[in-house]
Amino acid sequence: MEIFGQLFLNSLQISAAYILFSLGLTLIFGVMKVVNFAHGEFFGLVLLLIAILVPWLNSPSVPLVVAYGAAGAVSILATMACGWFLYHFAFKKFQRDMVGSFVLSVGLSLLIQGLFLEFFGGVPIKLPDLIEGNLRILGGAITTQRLVLTLIALLVAVTMCWLIAATKLGKSLRAVSEDHEAAMLQGIPYRKTALYGFLIATFLAAIAGALLAPVTVISANVGSDFLIKGFIAIVIGGLGSIPGSIIGSILIAVIESVGGYYFDPSLATLAMFVITMLVLLVRPKGIMGNG
Amino acid sequence: MGNARSSTILYVALLSLLVLGGSLFTGTGFAASLVIWVAINILLAASFRFVQLIGELNFAIAGFAGVGAYVAGVCTTKLGLPFVVAIVSAALAATLLSLIVGYITLRTKGPYFMLISFAFTEVLRMVYTQIDYIGSNSGMLGVFPPVLLTDYYPTFVVAVVLLSLIVLYKIEQSDFGKVLVAIRNNDAIVQTVGINVHLTKVSCLAISSFVAGICGALLAHANNVISPDDFSFLLAVYTLAYIKVGGESHIAGPILGASVLTLLAQVAMGFGPYEHIFYGAAIVIAVLLMPDGLVGIIRKLLGLPPKPQAAAKH
Repeated sequence: MEIFGQLFLNSLQISAAYILFSLGLTLIFGVMKVVNFAHGEFFGLVLLLIAILVPWLNSPSVPLVVAYGAAGAVSILATMACGWFLYHFAFKKFQRDMVGSFVLSVGLSLLIQGLFLEFFGGVPIKLPDLIEGNLRILGGAITTQRLVLTLIALLVAVTMCWLIAATKLGKSLRAVSEDHEAAMLQGIPYRKTALYGFLIATFLAAIAGALLAPVTVISANVGSDFLIKGFIAIVIGGLGSIPGSIIGSILIAVIESVGGYYFDPSLATLAMFVITMLVLLVRPKGIMGNG
Repeated sequence: MGNARSSTILYVALLSLLVLGGSLFTGTGFAASLVIWVAINILLAASFRFVQLIGELNFAIAGFAGVGAYVAGVCTTKLGLPFVVAIVSAALAATLLSLIVGYITLRTKGPYFMLISFAFTEVLRMVYTQIDYIGSNSGMLGVFPPVLLTDYYPTFVVAVVLLSLIVLYKIEQSDFGKVLVAIRNNDAIVQTVGINVHLTKVSCLAISSFVAGICGALLAHANNVISPDDFSFLLAVYTLAYIKVGGESHIAGPILGASVLTLLAQVAMGFGPYEHIFYGAAIVIAVLLMPDGLVGIIRKLLGLPPKPQAAAKH
């Protein structure tokens, strides 16, 4: 029983981050038909900026929480500015060109990772813990810090789902991803909606990075690992589908924690891949994909 | 028309003989390695481009080349099989695997194949690190070409690459090749004429993977050492850079792109570890500033009309 509690907690933690990450990927794909290979770089940029800012801000007169908060806010804003820049000078020209935009984002991803290595160096960084202490829930152990961060991440994900389900912006995002021409006929400004979609996705990657900062070993290519898992999650769930990306994220988080516990992490990744192939065999467009 | 065509064939044949003859004099030093790398990169790029004929990006090419390299390595070092058998088994193993992956992921339009091919490459890399028989993380050592070939290995590689390029070009020019391009332009029409689009796509991937398997086998015996990281998705991304810089509308594109970038990279690496930036910038610049790459520029210089590029838009 204790093992199940522990595995449940582990899955919960992992899935919270994956949900934020793949929600952004699927949102960009839905709205712009762009698979953003550089999505992991937004995530990496926030982590690296926080890794620089927190030790710089933190001093006896500035408590760690304030340092984290300020560093997180600045890094998220900087990343969103970076996302805006990339949208305007690169992705805007390749909207609805799936292959072209993918090639472009692969190039950007490689370029940005090279720049990260250049400016931040190759040494992994571990930041100090934000909150000390452990908790026991359902017979499993979890650090208070991880629990708090996971709950915030889930809260952000739920808010985002509400935003997409209920607000006017969310409705236009969904309309555009279903059929952008029909949406435009209804008077929905496509370009503006696409920009918002891209920025929301950037924000989701950025906030996932900020929330993981205190618990992750930060390095220049930290985004790559998330990217593969994010791809697998959205392919399992069905590209462009919001519920699909959540289901996919939860599924791979469970495989990762259970497989990682009973076997080892690389085997868990292999299992993820095999399960993805099995899902595609039955449903060629993923669990929630139509057609 | 027929005259121009036969003279083109003559030029290509002469050029091939020149390259082949030149490769005889490289010896076994750095120049020889460079010739081999350029030749293998050209073939990898041509194989990547072959799948682009149906409008897909095949990031699994690194994975298939890796399978080829490991299968060939096992054949020659562990099982003591002849070199030729190793190359053929490498190509067949890559083909077989590609049939399975292709059958499942090429059924629908959309980026499913692109994303899965990327994940496939990374998963394979992880699998290699887990198998002790093939040296797990540290890789396989002592993968040497047969003694008879040692001095002529660059020439052998160039010959195999030239032959494969000609075969790929012939297939592209054939009716089958035209069906591939038709699938990229509009698969619904191809379907209505009674052609099985799914199976055609899978065969296209299989042909490309056969070539990728050969590349892997050649590479393994050129480097003598193979490790899992040699076949990460970076290999596929570098290949993509060759095509984007060279241009994808003609088979000369991968040849130009791979030659230019491989040689330039040797110069650039002299300044430090900027490999990521070099190839990343190459792709971004090519995509944003030179549509259809060097081939497009040459077309413009010669006053030829630009070849229409059918982007797969959905």
